[in-house]
Amino acid sequence: MISQLGQALVLLAVLTCAVGAPIAFLAGAYRSQKGLAWSRKLALAFGLWMFLATLAMEYALITHDFSVSYVASVGSLATPLHITIVSLWSSLEGSILFWGCVLGLFTAAVAVLQRRGHEDYLAYTLGTLFCIGLFFSFLIASAANPFAPTQPPIPTDGPGPNPLLQNHLLMIIHPPMLYLGYVGMSVPFAMAVAALLRGQLGPTWLLPLRNWLLVPTSFLTLGIMLGGWWSYEVLGWGGYWAWDPVENASFLPWLTAIAALHSAIVQQRRGTLKAWTTILVLITFLLTILGTFLTRSGVVNSVHSFTQSPIGPLFLIFLGICLVACVILLTLRIDTLVSEPSEDSIVAREGAFLLNNNLLLVAVMFTVLIGTLFPIIAEAVRGIKVSVGEPYFNRMSVPIFLGLLLLMGIGPALPWGRSDPATRRRVLLWPLPAAAVAVVLAFMLGVRNGYVLFTCALAGYALWVTLNQVLRPVWLRSRKGEALPRALGTVASRTPRRLGAYLVHFGVILTFVAIAISSTYQTDSEASLAPGQNMSVGGYDLTFNELEVERAPHRTSQRAIIDVKHSGRAKGTLAPALNQYPTQREPMGTPAVKSTLTHDLYLTVMNISTNGRVGIRAIVTPAVYWIWIGVLVMVVGTAICLVSPAPVGAPAVGAQRETEAATP
Amino acid sequence: MTTINRPLLLFALLLTALGAISATAQPQALGVEGQALIGEPKGRPLSGEELERVTNEVSSLMRCPVCQGLSVADSPTPSAVAMKEEVRQFLAAGYTETQILTYFEQSYGEFIRLEPKAKGFNLLVWILPIAGLLAGLALVMRRVKQPAATEAQDDAPTTVDPDLEVYLEQVRREVSS
Amino acid sequence: MNRTALIVGVLVITPLLIFLALSFRSDPRDIESPLIGKTAPLFTLQDLDGNVYSLEELRGQPVVINFWATWCQPCIVEHPVLVAASRRYEGRVTFLGVIYNDKPELIRKFVRQMGAWGPSLIDEDVSVAIAYGVYGAPETFFIDATGTIVDKATGAVSPQYLVNLLEGMLSS
Repeated sequence: MISQLGQALVLLAVLTCAVGAPIAFLAGAYRSQKGLAWSRKLALAFGLWMFLATLAMEYALITHDFSVSYVASVGSLATPLHITIVSLWSSLEGSILFWGCVLGLFTAAVAVLQRRGHEDYLAYTLGTLFCIGLFFSFLIASAANPFAPTQPPIPTDGPGPNPLLQNHLLMIIHPPMLYLGYVGMSVPFAMAVAALLRGQLGPTWLLPLRNWLLVPTSFLTLGIMLGGWWSYEVLGWGGYWAWDPVENASFLPWLTAIAALHSAIVQQRRGTLKAWTTILVLITFLLTILGTFLTRSGVVNSVHSFTQSPIGPLFLIFLGICLVACVILLTLRIDTLVSEPSEDSIVAREGAFLLNNNLLLVAVMFTVLIGTLFPIIAEAVRGIKVSVGEPYFNRMSVPIFLGLLLLMGIGPALPWGRSDPATRRRVLLWPLPAAAVAVVLAFMLGVRNGYVLFTCALAGYALWVTLNQVLRPVWLRSRKGEALPRALGTVASRTPRRLGAYLVHFGVILTFVAIAISSTYQTDSEASLAPGQNMSVGGYDLTFNELEVERAPHRTSQRAIIDVKHSGRAKGTLAPALNQYPTQREPMGTPAVKSTLTHDLYLTVMNISTNGRVGIRAIVTPAVYWIWIGVLVMVVGTAICLVSPAPVGAPAVGAQRETEAATP
Repeated sequence: MTTINRPLLLFALLLTALGAISATAQPQALGVEGQALIGEPKGRPLSGEELERVTNEVSSLMRCPVCQGLSVADSPTPSAVAMKEEVRQFLAAGYTETQILTYFEQSYGEFIRLEPKAKGFNLLVWILPIAGLLAGLALVMRRVKQPAATEAQDDAPTTVDPDLEVYLEQVRREVSS
Repeated sequence: MNRTALIVGVLVITPLLIFLALSFRSDPRDIESPLIGKTAPLFTLQDLDGNVYSLEELRGQPVVINFWATWCQPCIVEHPVLVAASRRYEGRVTFLGVIYNDKPELIRKFVRQMGAWGPSLIDEDVSVAIAYGVYGAPETFFIDATGTIVDKATGAVSPQYLVNLLEGMLSS
């Protein structure tokens, strides 16, 4: 029953998109209000169908309706309810359905939220979204159909979702965040396509485009961080980023999205870089499709993709169509964007620096892309499988990241507009003592590694510049007799976007330093312990107490209870575990992590032998916590930029100057 | 069964005895004769902390064969642990990083290297990103230089961050009023 | 019309799509062994009963080395195939099983139930599996009478493939 209902809803979605796309494009071409109204309604309908289809699938999952093929492949009576709910995205078909749902909701949201003005832009935007929606709903209806009826006999129980999904609660929120970011990139893409079709990208359209880009970017930031956190808490190797193809796939569009946001700022201020911003937005979307193709079609080795799947060729065709469409659009229409008044040339230094920021971000993207694709290229050319892994990516990208950190200090320090060399020298030399202080401080804390010290110097410089940008108005106010807290409050409420943007920079600086320290100063130790025996690592004294066995219907958990002492003082117990799932041959470890602000103690069970000994790996990593804090600061900063009201009054076309716009 | 096949028993005993003799005569080390594949060590033997550090360095350049994209250094699987142990032994015997990687490459193929060898076609993966960066830089430079010619005619005022300046002006006004 | 956009676009998307399309031809799990055509790495191992086997001493007739474990599904699938082949080629081909990351007691129990096709050698420190570049179980190596590796199979071997290969090795 659910099977038929779901398929009917998906077919309705296909139909809605197929009808909506031509209507919306025609409405755009003929500037028809009626057509636009219809497109809006169809957009809402598309969102509704996809949402209802997803609800139907959830219903089937929760009621264990094994006549639905997807439920039969991932459902299990023994699985707890909350995991049953999220097993929607535990396997290919369900995750594509979820993708469709998010896309539908985004499409509907554009139709609802983008109310005033922009009629002709909006029609093209919805038209483009319908085209993307058509592909995904078609995919759900055909190759990746989760609603297909199960071949009889219908089983009475299923295998349950992938144990990796069941092993940690983070898996419940990490994929939705990633999907919101990934799928959300369709909206700025559609808006950029609309700008190209209209042949105009004025400030009135740039602002909504920037906001619609900001939303998925912050979700993607959060999703990437949660993914790193998840792999840290679940995979048990003590790291958070392995440059796995799936991780790269989420990282690639993030880089270009960040670049696009920065170039949009220049465009907003100076009216330049329109074409470049547009191209970046297009690339961002294309990278999400490419990334999905790579990770879902089974052509690359990755944690998440293991089987060759039927959606691969369809995705490739879709990617091909998108690529060709983008090239045609750019070829025919890009000049219309460039030739607007006050365009084409970068008048001042900030242009150069922003371009360098863009250049470096795109360079990282290009490097990661080449590294991710190279195994495929090498196999096609040489017929030999090669690996491109962590050492390559670190070696190639770390210098560029350090360059970005440097620009994060230099960029905002430099004045907008043209300036004389003396001013330039003054503003650039001014923060140097901060860099020196940072290095000395790091050295006193025991940092001896050259790379880390260099990172600290750059971070100190950038931190000073950031604080200076935020605090100078406050300081000025307080000097004129205003109380400091009040001055701070006034500044925050007057220029929230400015504050938000610098908060993001602050978060980035934190994250950079934390990554540099945590990846350099890891100490680990391995030991096989009988009950009562102990081991030590990084100042910790660990005593293996006993082995606890916990039986649940969906898994059996063996937990090693370990007493933790740090320099003689008891710090509680940790219980890393090995979980045995009935469907999995090898047990899966769940590490136990004790996080403090300075360092993490990370314990994993390597093996449990029959005589009661456990093999324990203990890792002490400094500063890991600050990575998560740094990313959260970034997300909060982005949120401030997003919710704060747009500058009062519609900005004038051309070289308008907004007081409130976020700076690089 | 009451009767025992005597000749067979005798034969078995004889075999066991022979086996025992041959085993004591030439005590064979169990395992593989691996060292023969890479020749003499070309470096100096490592020990202590240096051995641990270099073991980690070298094994982080090798893909764990049974994992998905993890290095031998990071993976807790038995195969990776065993490979790391072999790396440790090779280093302790004085073999170099190049020799060790070559040894594993002989059996696992190039796939085992997490960093492609900078040789032949593989050079592309090293050169392309740098070439891309340089090309981008050249492009930016060209665009920035262009307006330099018109700079003289442009008489826009020179300011410190005008954005901040406008804002500071606003603040001054407010405070003084 | 912007010629640069067109040229750059075509230059980027053509190779990209070609390489991505070509990638479908390959199986990410099928990694070719560089050992084929080379002398098989020599080893000496004990089986479950303490008998010592040395590859060098087995020269003179083809040897089939299979890396397996009881936890691996394809190993269970191919087990009867190997049992049948070991009967058919008894005395002409040596079949050696090398235990890959498994407990000897589990292997013993499995062999008691399902029958044996050759000795199960204990590769305590995984050194033999590493020397043969084993990426997972099962993997089967075919070594000719001179000690050269002729072929390697990843995953469960089919009876057809096994018979064809062994007949070829025996007749040459």
